[in-house]
Amino acid sequence: MKNKANIYCWMGALGLLSLMGFGALGYQLVNGLGVTGMNNAVSWGLYITMFMFFVGLSAGGLIVSSSATVFNIPAFKVVAKPATILSTVCIMVAGIFIMVDIGSPERVLNLILHSQFKSPLMWDVCVITLYLTINVTYLYLMTRPSSDQKKLKVMSSIALPVAILVHSVTAWIFGLQIAREGWHSALMAPLFVASALDSGLALLIIVLVLLIKYKLFTVDKKLITSLAGLLVTCVAVDAYFVFSEILTMLYPQEESVMLVLDEMLKGSMAPFFWGEVILGFVIPLAILLFRKNREKTGLIIFSSVLIVIGVFFKRVWLLFTSFIYPHVEGAPGITLGKYLPGENPNVVPHFWLLHGQYAPTLIELMIVVGMIAFGTLLFIVLSRKILIEKAQETKRTNQNQSFESPTAV
Amino acid sequence: MTKLGMVIDLNRCVGCQTCANACKMQNNVPMGMLWNRVLTEGSEEMDGVSGIYPHVKKKYIPVSCQHCENAPCVKVCPVGATYKAEDGRVLIDYDRCIGCRYCMAACPYNVRVFNWTEAVRHPGFNYGDSKVPVRKVGVVEKCSMCKERTDEGLDPMCVVCCPAEARTFGDLDDPNSEVSRLIREKNGETLLKEKGTKPQVYYLGLS
Repeated sequence: MKNKANIYCWMGALGLLSLMGFGALGYQLVNGLGVTGMNNAVSWGLYITMFMFFVGLSAGGLIVSSSATVFNIPAFKVVAKPATILSTVCIMVAGIFIMVDIGSPERVLNLILHSQFKSPLMWDVCVITLYLTINVTYLYLMTRPSSDQKKLKVMSSIALPVAILVHSVTAWIFGLQIAREGWHSALMAPLFVASALDSGLALLIIVLVLLIKYKLFTVDKKLITSLAGLLVTCVAVDAYFVFSEILTMLYPQEESVMLVLDEMLKGSMAPFFWGEVILGFVIPLAILLFRKNREKTGLIIFSSVLIVIGVFFKRVWLLFTSFIYPHVEGAPGITLGKYLPGENPNVVPHFWLLHGQYAPTLIELMIVVGMIAFGTLLFIVLSRKILIEKAQETKRTNQNQSFESPTAV
Repeated sequence: MTKLGMVIDLNRCVGCQTCANACKMQNNVPMGMLWNRVLTEGSEEMDGVSGIYPHVKKKYIPVSCQHCENAPCVKVCPVGATYKAEDGRVLIDYDRCIGCRYCMAACPYNVRVFNWTEAVRHPGFNYGDSKVPVRKVGVVEKCSMCKERTDEGLDPMCVVCCPAEARTFGDLDDPNSEVSRLIREKNGETLLKEKGTKPQVYYLGLS
């Protein structure tokens, strides 16, 4: 009972935060995107960062649950349900962040009415819709009382490639652009898949442990250990890609590339870049590379949290470093796009930026926190509905000894 | 086919900013943004010089939409609001733009501006040409080569107003046009040639 009260407390708090977020969103809808810190030089901000981040976070769930069926890893099958719920919620939050970022949301139907398929953003709209549909269908199939193994197998065979595609297409939104020095790289898609896998898996592990703690789900401790093994592999691959990318940028010492790289290695983006390297790569690898440590839930959780933060930092430096230096330089630079009259009406306020500058405003932060809270709330509600029902069902069927006998085990 | 373009003679440009203001007035561009910026090269300040005294030089470069033949902004627009018109201009359908700003991220010239807030104007009325559509909050805008004027056979406002006669407007596909002649005879170059965007705005004396 105490456990239940605890969950309700959390849900109440998350509900309030969501309300705050939607309130802030209402304010933004009325006043326009001018309430954010974005400007003509840095035209994408925290919303797009969160979009990339959440698309990535949704990876872990679906990839684990579908590879359970595709590659026949029965151990993973157990977590298929919470994993798919997590995946569904994350991709929904990612979609919300795209909608929040749009300047004329009342025209969002133009995406369907006037689709222009040369745009990677259009590809993403299609792939994310497909991905969400697959997640929901998958969840539906899994929660049917008589889950059809054949249908599940077909679904997961589609789900796996689509999951890879979602991360690749999101990467191509950036990677196919010649205008931003740090984005235009063929490695962008593999890099996104790798960081999606490690952040997604890390989040899945955190969520599983929390579900166990709040008695919504039970998993064998061995499974967490084997997931941690998969996690450390993904982190290593991610680190390898980042190293390869940085080396390729650094070695030729090209002038325009070095501007961007210097900003990352020792400029304004250095805290994020080195933050990612240390929190996202060095510490988790140092911990999880050892088999012994992978048996300690505390250490796994600690590393998982660091990995999620690390990948968030990567999204930040990836997006912003490329907005700092305009290709066509010259004073006074780029117009801000906003006109904020000063105290003296006779003095024209400065509205120029020589280099890209951006800091999120309070409204932006409120919306981001609110949407994350909303996603968390959605996850809790769905988990309680689906997982608890399941727990009861299995109890019932265990008595009958007919349902879902672990044939694959 | 016509391929509208422009030639800007940097050896003639005096950095007076007249084109920037003429454009602002003609196209009803609100405060805090410009479709056409006159940049001072190699300096951190407007009208500054590059180099160390006494070896200094001063150079201006007016930058607005380059109306690229291979326009990155046109490719990335998810709703086709930005399009390449038949006469070679890159135009925006303000009624279709959803404000995703992908085109702004895709443009290597940073010439696109967004209506972040309700437009502020000094003086406080629509000072632009009455034929120019008024843009709402949440859409992207940029140079249209003065569509409303050029459709009627007039020159764009920046070309008309330039006191140094540095700007020429015309059809790049017509070998006998003034723009084609200038590019041919005076070695017209484009901005960020290495990006392969094939701009239709040429500069004389760029390098």
